[in-house]
Amino acid sequence: MITTEPARSRRPVPRAPAAGKLTARLLASEERPSWQERPRAATQGAKGGAITVIVALISIPLYTIVVTSFSTQASINQAGGMVIWPHGLSLGAYQEIVSGGVVGRALLISLGITAVGTCLSMAITILAAYGMSRSGSFGHRTVLWVMLITMFFNGGIIPLFLVVSALGGYDQYWALIAPSAVSVFNVIVMRSFFASTAQDLIDCARIDGAGDWRILWRIVLPTSRAVTAVIALFYAVGYWNSWFNIMLFMPSDSAKWPLQMVLYDYLTQNSQSVEPAAAGFQSAVPTLALQMAVVAITIVPILLVYPFVQKHFTKGVLLGAVKG
Amino acid sequence: MKVVADMSPRMSRRGFLTATAGAASAAAAQPLLAACGGGGGAPAKTGAASTSLLQRILPHYQPSSLVKPDYPSVNGSSPAYLTYPSRLVKTVSEVPGSGGSYTGITPLWGTIPSANNPFDQAVNKALGATVSVSPANGNNYATILPQLFSGNKLPDWIQVPTFWAPPLNFGEAAATRLADLTPYLAGDKVKQYPNLAAIFASGWQAGIWDDKLYGFPSYTAGFNFGYQLYYRADLLDKLGIGTPSVKSMNDLFDLAKEVNDPAAKRWALGDIFGYLYQPFDYPNWMLDDKGHLITQYESPGIIEAMNWMAKAIKAGLVHPDQVAGNYGNGVTEFYSGQMVIVSDGSGAWNAADAQKGQAANKGYKRASFDFFTDSGSGTPRMSLEAATAWTSYLNKRLSPSQIQEILRIGNYLAAPFGSVEYHLLNYGVAGVDYTMTAAGPQLTATGTKYAGSAVSTYNFLVSPNNTVYNAGYPEVTKASAAWGQRNAKYGYQPLFYELNVTVPNSLSNANAFTPFVQAGNNIMYEVARGRATIADYQSTVANWKRNGGNKLKTFYEGVLAQQKKLGSA
Amino acid sequence: MTDAAAPTASRPRANVVGSDSVIIAAADATAGSRRRRWWTRLRRDRTLLIMTLPALVLLAVFGYAPMLGLVMAFQDYDLYDGFLHSPWVGLANFQQLFTDPEFWHSFWNTLALFSVQLALFFPVPIALAILLDSLLSRRLRGVIQAVVTLPHFFSFVLVVTIFNEVFGGAGLLDTFLRSHGVTSPFDFMTDPGTFKFLVTSQLIWKEGGWSTIVYLAALSAISPALYEAAAVDGAGYWRRLRHITLPGLQGITVLLLILNLGYSLTFGFEQMLIQLPAVGPGTAQVITTFSYKNGIVAGNYSYGAAAGLFLGITSVILILGANKVAHLFGEDGLYRK
Repeated sequence: MITTEPARSRRPVPRAPAAGKLTARLLASEERPSWQERPRAATQGAKGGAITVIVALISIPLYTIVVTSFSTQASINQAGGMVIWPHGLSLGAYQEIVSGGVVGRALLISLGITAVGTCLSMAITILAAYGMSRSGSFGHRTVLWVMLITMFFNGGIIPLFLVVSALGGYDQYWALIAPSAVSVFNVIVMRSFFASTAQDLIDCARIDGAGDWRILWRIVLPTSRAVTAVIALFYAVGYWNSWFNIMLFMPSDSAKWPLQMVLYDYLTQNSQSVEPAAAGFQSAVPTLALQMAVVAITIVPILLVYPFVQKHFTKGVLLGAVKG
Repeated sequence: MKVVADMSPRMSRRGFLTATAGAASAAAAQPLLAACGGGGGAPAKTGAASTSLLQRILPHYQPSSLVKPDYPSVNGSSPAYLTYPSRLVKTVSEVPGSGGSYTGITPLWGTIPSANNPFDQAVNKALGATVSVSPANGNNYATILPQLFSGNKLPDWIQVPTFWAPPLNFGEAAATRLADLTPYLAGDKVKQYPNLAAIFASGWQAGIWDDKLYGFPSYTAGFNFGYQLYYRADLLDKLGIGTPSVKSMNDLFDLAKEVNDPAAKRWALGDIFGYLYQPFDYPNWMLDDKGHLITQYESPGIIEAMNWMAKAIKAGLVHPDQVAGNYGNGVTEFYSGQMVIVSDGSGAWNAADAQKGQAANKGYKRASFDFFTDSGSGTPRMSLEAATAWTSYLNKRLSPSQIQEILRIGNYLAAPFGSVEYHLLNYGVAGVDYTMTAAGPQLTATGTKYAGSAVSTYNFLVSPNNTVYNAGYPEVTKASAAWGQRNAKYGYQPLFYELNVTVPNSLSNANAFTPFVQAGNNIMYEVARGRATIADYQSTVANWKRNGGNKLKTFYEGVLAQQKKLGSA
Repeated sequence: MTDAAAPTASRPRANVVGSDSVIIAAADATAGSRRRRWWTRLRRDRTLLIMTLPALVLLAVFGYAPMLGLVMAFQDYDLYDGFLHSPWVGLANFQQLFTDPEFWHSFWNTLALFSVQLALFFPVPIALAILLDSLLSRRLRGVIQAVVTLPHFFSFVLVVTIFNEVFGGAGLLDTFLRSHGVTSPFDFMTDPGTFKFLVTSQLIWKEGGWSTIVYLAALSAISPALYEAAAVDGAGYWRRLRHITLPGLQGITVLLLILNLGYSLTFGFEQMLIQLPAVGPGTAQVITTFSYKNGIVAGNYSYGAAAGLFLGITSVILILGANKVAHLFGEDGLYRK
């Protein structure tokens, strides 16, 4: 069953039996297209069951993470790890993270890098993807292979480090953006979507005298909102999450660290290699609550951004573009 | 989720890298050693060796004792104090720095404090210079070191633990990138820096590479070892066992069986394999009964240790997470009583541990078994680690006047327990970072964030000899210091003790002992879990020997011969 | 974007690109000389090629330049001698690699684990996308989508920890079993036999939701008019699924399959590294962890580079092969034939 923008005929759908205002709002169905059969109760039940299970499988561990982040160290020590039944609660972990001032600044840096990086990457990717997407165009397969090769062959950390530092990138912000500005995977996916744009649209435009830039801007892009949104999301998440580049190029200048590096520091206190405690050494390793608080903080921005991206995945965005 | 950080130099036993076994070296470029250079690498370089040469290079030790310890050092154990001295002594009369500005990188196992925080500012003011240390994540540290060295992006002052030095080909690194401190500190030259002179000579020895002194020592301790065996004294009391008497591996097994109760979510043991080299006595390098040089992996002791561990795991005495190699949660599991007997370094027994443990369990009490032997007869033996593995180095690019300024700063940083300087570095500013209570200085919330973690930062540049003091928990000090005094006599110096050997490039693979050292991913671990047999183990050892191991042994035999000749073996 | 979806519509194959295409195409047909055709096509498509320049420049600097570092594979790389001065050893590293039984063992492990993961994981995001898409309530769909995407942002360390909390020897399941009399309950986390299913379920939990995004985008590109027409013609739900939805997803599915195949040999580093202690290297050692252990950890960068080079070549061959197979089935694959 696929929803669609209001089609010509509407049939009002009976309200779901309200279990509460919230549920009703959540379940409020949209217009079911006229041609769609009414779902059987069994199907609805099965769907509902499947969805409940799926959501539960994810929500329950999420719940443990959140509970642990709000737990006192005592209750964590009592539980011997992650806390399931909350005993002692405290805001300590969150207070500690937020109060340092480190996180605030890191957040701004992350936002900056993500914004700049995503815009840059999208521009480059869209151009490259379109440039390779017309079948029969000169050399497009060669270019594609040239790009593909870089996905599989990788000189490793040290050569990359040497190249970037030779260009003066050590401890610079651009070293966090430029080396990963082009994701060949994203280019290929976008290219594939572009390549399947209705050829007649493009031909019409050509006959009207439009050049490639115009075609890209006026025709291909507007009809590719879904994939553009997806790839932008991929890039944004990539920049937001990346800490590896930071570890390589800015390992010690913590004033310049984006959020992920700061958070990664908290998280990696979970290393698998265990070493015995040194004589006399007072470690201040963060607690489990702190680590879980970090994870919880990571999720919040995603939950905030998501609604804006999702509307690009709805149906019928393309209606009206194809003439007849 | 790892809660406690590490730091014992004993890491060479178990973790990541291995085989420097402290320092050591024969005199440079003896024909024997050069021949062992093998395939085209630099000739075998080793550091200072003969006792006379060593005497000339090492700073002359001048002990200082500001406060009389309640538990004085016995056979090298760390002195312990029950109360904080009421009167602090100023050991550095004038401001050490002259306005210079230096960068540093140290590892940190903890939350990274914000840059240039109030504590840093206070310290820099006292130093009279700007020393901005950027702590880097301790868990990544080994990965960034090669980049920093190969890309020549070293800061002015960098901490490089000796157990992470091998992949860096440190002899060559030191010669090309680091500042030689011998002209400034050798022999009596150290006299102008009394606090530096008060650090044990064995600590300075850890920083000697190729006949030259490069490194500042931190956390120097005379009685330095890898692991000891702890147990939950309060749990044993609750179970009616009281103070256990474990004198042999059989005793240990019986005790474990007695306390093991998985249905009540209590397992007797953690993964204590890393400790077993003590009762079975197999140090990194040793002589077999025919007098030939062998590694620990060829010793009969390690085979017995694996068998014992396998028996314990099979009997269900070991916590499943530890069997699965999920060590991260180990300490929390110890606090919650899911494990009764664990092995850990000496740094685990302190006030922070008592505080965390007691928050979970009112009666929490950590105790430690004395060293014992596998059979129960004979004297226990514990092979010592180098006095320190924490050495920091200066960049070769610094000018002599800069080096001298840093040395004066180092002198301040090395001020011993009971001094004004030590107090500032470890507790911060009164009222802000700590409050003075009847039980001694207690760090405030701000203090734990900055002064607490900064304890590691400045202390990783250079710090005084190790002392034991636990504010508010004198019973912990009593128990751990008494243990130290009792057991230090079992320590002995194994072969190549305190020798920094630079293995030639062609042997560096064998020297990495790859099949044996990765935590949770080595052949002994597999045997203990029944996934490999002793025969598999033997063939792994044979493979290692074939692929450079024999050549490595020949090389070390040469080192040993050198030492004998020079009279320092 | 409806070409791929229409089962009966013919696929337009106008080989007409670039400006002045119609005229040039005609000219091409009558021109004759190959060289002239080559040159005119370049002129005609120069804008398209210019568009790919920024990406190419970046890849040249950050992709190809570091690739020169692969020369390490033929050297006995020393950190201080660098690339220019380290001694040349030719194929010695490769020889050592190919005669190392552990290497081949991890190679087969990689293939085995990957195949199981591929077979079991791949259908999940597609099914989930179709399920979500069929929800009428947009809000509900949005909420669920957001929730199932979240595990993608967890590191594998966290994922394994969570799994351990439930399935580990001291976890919920086993504690429950023990308190009900089972003396030695099955430990899912450490059993080598079921390991492939363990890692697959971890992957599904972590990435299943995230992977639906691309499919949802593809689903949104299928014209509703097709469904309407089919429904009017009497096709029920399942027939519409088989003849419209699945073919509509076919293109992107094949593309993703091929790309994933290319990644197949290098997958699983973090996931396997964490769980090596639990099940042992016999089960969990894959090429990337092998290369890590013998390369970076041991400081033997040459060896790691040799393994990396071998992997790269094999992955390219795999992708080429997969693409050819796709073409055989009439699919576009990576690029149209």
